Amino acid sequence: MPTDVPTAPHVPLPASILSQGPNLIVSIHAALDDQQLERLQRDLLERVGRDRSRGILIDVAALDVLDSFAARTLADLAYMAQLRGARTVIVGIAPDVAMTLVRLGVRIPLTQTALDLEEGLEWLGT
Amino acid sequence: MASEALRGDQPYDERVVVELVPVLRRVVGARIKDPHTVEDLVQETLARLMSSSRRVDPDKLHHYAAVTARNVVATYAERNDRARNRSHLLADPVDVAPPPTEQLLLQEDREFVAAALGQLSAEDRDLLVAHEVHGQDTSTMAAEVGSTPGAVAARLSRARASLRVEYLLVVEAIDPPSDRCRPVLRALSSSDRRRQRELDVNGHLLECETCSQLADRLFERRGQPAEDGVVRVPVSRDADVVTARQQGREVAASAGFSTSAQTLIATAISEISRNIVKFAERGEVAISLVTEDGRRGVRVVARDVGPGIADPDVALRDGYSTYHGLGLGLPGAKRLMDRFHLSSVPGEGTTVTMEKWLR
Amino acid sequence: MTDETSTPTGAEPDRGDELLLPELVAHLRDNRTQLRQQWAERITDAHLLSSMTNQEVFSEATSVYDNYVEVLETGSVKALQHYARDLSERIIPRGVETHEVIGIVLLLRDVLARSLFEKYRDDFELLNRVLDAYEPAANRIANTVAVSFVEQRERVIRDQQDALLELSTPVLQVRERLLILPIIGVLDQTRAQQLTEQLLHGIRAHRAKLVVIDVTGVPDMDESVANSLVDTVTASRLMGADVIITGLSSEIAQTLVTIGVDLSKMHTVGDLQGGIEEAERQLGFRVSKVPDAD
Repeated sequence: MPTDVPTAPHVPLPASILSQGPNLIVSIHAALDDQQLERLQRDLLERVGRDRSRGILIDVAALDVLDSFAARTLADLAYMAQLRGARTVIVGIAPDVAMTLVRLGVRIPLTQTALDLEEGLEWLGT
Repeated sequence: MASEALRGDQPYDERVVVELVPVLRRVVGARIKDPHTVEDLVQETLARLMSSSRRVDPDKLHHYAAVTARNVVATYAERNDRARNRSHLLADPVDVAPPPTEQLLLQEDREFVAAALGQLSAEDRDLLVAHEVHGQDTSTMAAEVGSTPGAVAARLSRARASLRVEYLLVVEAIDPPSDRCRPVLRALSSSDRRRQRELDVNGHLLECETCSQLADRLFERRGQPAEDGVVRVPVSRDADVVTARQQGREVAASAGFSTSAQTLIATAISEISRNIVKFAERGEVAISLVTEDGRRGVRVVARDVGPGIADPDVALRDGYSTYHGLGLGLPGAKRLMDRFHLSSVPGEGTTVTMEKWLR
Repeated sequence: MTDETSTPTGAEPDRGDELLLPELVAHLRDNRTQLRQQWAERITDAHLLSSMTNQEVFSEATSVYDNYVEVLETGSVKALQHYARDLSERIIPRGVETHEVIGIVLLLRDVLARSLFEKYRDDFELLNRVLDAYEPAANRIANTVAVSFVEQRERVIRDQQDALLELSTPVLQVRERLLILPIIGVLDQTRAQQLTEQLLHGIRAHRAKLVVIDVTGVPDMDESVANSLVDTVTASRLMGADVIITGLSSEIAQTLVTIGVDLSKMHTVGDLQGGIEEAERQLGFRVSKVPDAD
């Protein structure tokens, strides 16, 4: 267990990380709070380093809210992953969520996005 | 019995009470960490003891003092930490109060009621006493004053609402800071919408910290949210942000907002609740359905007791961020909602009020 | 109030008044069957609720009657309000008009008032007092029902307007993964937002990879609408679909530049035909080749 998770490290994140070839497939099952998002970010970067992953796919279809913090965390993750040699694609942003993100003012494209898992995997070149 | 107690005999020498201070410090200090708060609560306990000491058997004064202190601490904790279940921190080995103590508390309560009644107009007081104490029904009372039972019932309900306010003021030992406070609190207590509008209650609540806290307690006391469905979410941790926005979505859905509007509202709530977690230790998000000019909408009031924002205009500017974020929190929330108002007193706290209306 | 009254309890003139409502309620309960029947007949005679069958009218009349008596008894219109809303929801789609609803409530008021005349006609004084007690309550009831109905009706109208609005901006699928959104007419912010919502749902439903938004039919755009257009493009991209904009007039292009949109980052093509060709090329390109990394 990493020591950087001070609170309730025993509670599993409502998200799963699967290795598939050179890629990590992340699916988020339920709403994450800020701490959990940051934990996911750390866990993922650690896995990228350990597995020498080439790509990360994050499925956010289950998230009904992506606010500025979540957007920022995901964008940071993509950037840091890239520094470690992995490309990130985010899939499954719901229509309402996409519109809200834009109205919120998140104008910079977060990172590469794709409609769904299939599209995302295609983009990663599986 | 109440009147007997009120008449009393000789009040104790105040010094007797003051001698209790070390005991009180110990009792309070065992439950509260912050030394300033401990001092405040000890003072509050002393004030209560002085006002009721003459009713207490001198032999039992120590015990009574300890119980009162515990009571004060519990009230404080409840006030500050409503709905968060930390009562276990206050658990006392001998938690079950012995019957004599209850008796005393009951007496104390009676005194509060008596004092509160004293603040009402003579008419209101007579009305309440006739109805509540002597058990007169509204018809008889109406006949006596040459009015209708309906009118009497309405007066009674207003008088009861005023009594609730006065009782709270007495119990909390609060002197309303302005002339507007009492009318505002009474209008709130009686749920008199028209009067509330006349008095610009919401405006006052934003300005007056005392009233805004008392208002919460008034609602609490009456077991709101029934009528308006005010949903209150205490916010102090990251997870509360998620709870707040989920509650917001539910309220918005119940008002008939489309799922996309629900998402806008939930996201805006997420942004402003995060601000509470980041900048204030704790606060509260209150979500309610509102109707104005025939339109229905959702109102979100996020209140915190924190450092406040020195320059709200700057905070509302895009890209202004004091933590790791996009700096879109407040300005972003503002863009998502139809109406957005931020008021902040440095050193005291921040209140964000925002609304979204059904098209 | 005066002391002048001829009731036997002259010493306490108003004493009996609060007993009037309970008495009234009892009267209405006792004569429920008959009064309800009378009311339903009056409704039919007045050709109100003509879109409903007699049986339906009778069954709704029963519910309204019972709610009505309950309001008189309890003084609370909550239950009635709830019922009225529910009723409105059921009958609005049947084409029932506002005047009909107000009409039937006034008829009920009338039927009941008549029965009170009948009952108290020998004691004019008492009748007056009964009516004094009855009138305000009856008016309040009429008000409640009418307001509930009108509110409900407004909501329905709004919903219909929304539906119409949606129809006016169709999202068309021209071929697999390619959507076209021809916008015709003046865009305001409401419509622009609605359009975005529709497009985004269309992207998901059709699994679109490319969208051509044709604004040839849009005469002008103010800054806020131009901003909305940019939002639409950004949101589409977040969902994984690229956008090509066609038919930008020079005025609109100017507006976009004024608000700081970098047109080089927006994919624009002169006309719709060109846009579709470009889209097809891109789709073909994507299918046949491994995509470039960013």
